[in-house]
Amino acid sequence: MLIEQSAYANRWRQVAPAAKGLFALGGFIAAFAARAPIAAIAVALLIATTTLVGAGIPFGRYLRVATPALFFLGISCLSLAFSLNLNSDTQALSFHLTPTGMQQVAEVSARSLGALSALLFLVLTTPLIDLIAMLRRLKTPEALLEIMVLSYRMLFVFSEAVHDTLTAQSARLGYATSRLALRSLGDLAANLTLQVWQRAHALHVAAQSRNNDGPLRFLEPVFTNKRRDVAFATAGGSVLVLLAVVLS
Amino acid sequence: MHIMEGFLPVEHAFGWTIASTPFVAYGIYAVKKRIRDNPEQRMLLGVAAAFTFVLSALKLPSVTGSCSHPTGTGLGAILFGPAAMAPIGMVVLLFQALLLAHGGLTTLGANTFSMAIVGPFAAAALFGLARRLKLSFAVSVFIAASMADLLTYVTTSAQLAWAFPDPEGGFVASFAKFAGIFAITQIPLAISEGLLTVVIFNALKRFNARELQDMNLLSRTEVRV
Repeated sequence: MLIEQSAYANRWRQVAPAAKGLFALGGFIAAFAARAPIAAIAVALLIATTTLVGAGIPFGRYLRVATPALFFLGISCLSLAFSLNLNSDTQALSFHLTPTGMQQVAEVSARSLGALSALLFLVLTTPLIDLIAMLRRLKTPEALLEIMVLSYRMLFVFSEAVHDTLTAQSARLGYATSRLALRSLGDLAANLTLQVWQRAHALHVAAQSRNNDGPLRFLEPVFTNKRRDVAFATAGGSVLVLLAVVLS
Repeated sequence: MHIMEGFLPVEHAFGWTIASTPFVAYGIYAVKKRIRDNPEQRMLLGVAAAFTFVLSALKLPSVTGSCSHPTGTGLGAILFGPAAMAPIGMVVLLFQALLLAHGGLTTLGANTFSMAIVGPFAAAALFGLARRLKLSFAVSVFIAASMADLLTYVTTSAQLAWAFPDPEGGFVASFAKFAGIFAITQIPLAISEGLLTVVIFNALKRFNARELQDMNLLSRTEVRV
């Protein structure tokens, strides 16, 4: 996972997650507060530059991570730009570009790019485990947190199981034709399905043998410059919101 | 298919979050009750969420030749029940946003509604109905899994159409546009996912019929020992 790699190996790894969360929040507010598309684009550019230059995320990786979202944006904007019209006389469907549609495309894509850059800033600089700790401090229901903590840890166990199975199946020509591929994938998923119960049971036994019957607790890392970081982030977030308001 | 970050206007983003909250809360309540009766299942949800996440990252050979990813909502709804799928699906969607930049935080509510609520409930209802109509196990699974996929995509199209009605044709024209454009990828995906889920259950039935019977998914006569 490209995002995971950047989250652990970027220049701002030691910056307090609360600060990075605050800056991203400022970005979200600015993207939604911007009335003019140019304002939202300016916000997006500023956040993207901060991510690339400040946190030192390589440009190529940034683009690769943003591609699926940009693909969605492209095809959705295509359908926003064209208006569908049913002529009642001839019963014919017609597509045509409308000025309102183009205006909407500009607004929506600018806002989406602003919000996307804020999301990318947060996820490319902050590991998920820090984000979960932040959610815990924000009083997220314990039941949801527990699903997140467990599932984050199990994710890599399952990924490895999938990787090993795929290798073994491919070595036996399991993916030679699309028919075989469907069958191999089905066997792989069925095998994984069984592991859900087996691994959940094993985890339960392991937790019980350590007298655990409540929430799973972990040591949280200490961020020494938290106050300074939060002050910088508040200032940065305010600049983003101001920029959005001034340019609108 | 997830709605990207920032795409929905702020009132729609909030509205869908509010609409999804009771389902997620009920799901957590239902699961907690189940754990009280069977404490050994308390790790199940977390593990099931990881399983669904990994499953959704698999590449599925699609009918049209393009590659797409299964959603796993139909499979999850049949295995874990639709109520449990709401919190599981929400965590999976949150992880997809945070680990893959797929979907988003402001659109989490809307995506949860279509993928973790409408899809699983439709799958469970259709599976139950098909079983009651005495359709074969494979046909029931296919209908449940492919319709869960289709309804998820129809819901997403409706969400987008509601947020962005066509200036001339209104909601209906906008829905037709979004549904039409996404149909190219989503209909082959629904068929492939339906087939894949049947293959998964066939494999489970072959090797683990007892477990399926314990979950009341198979009748006694369908289990060959």
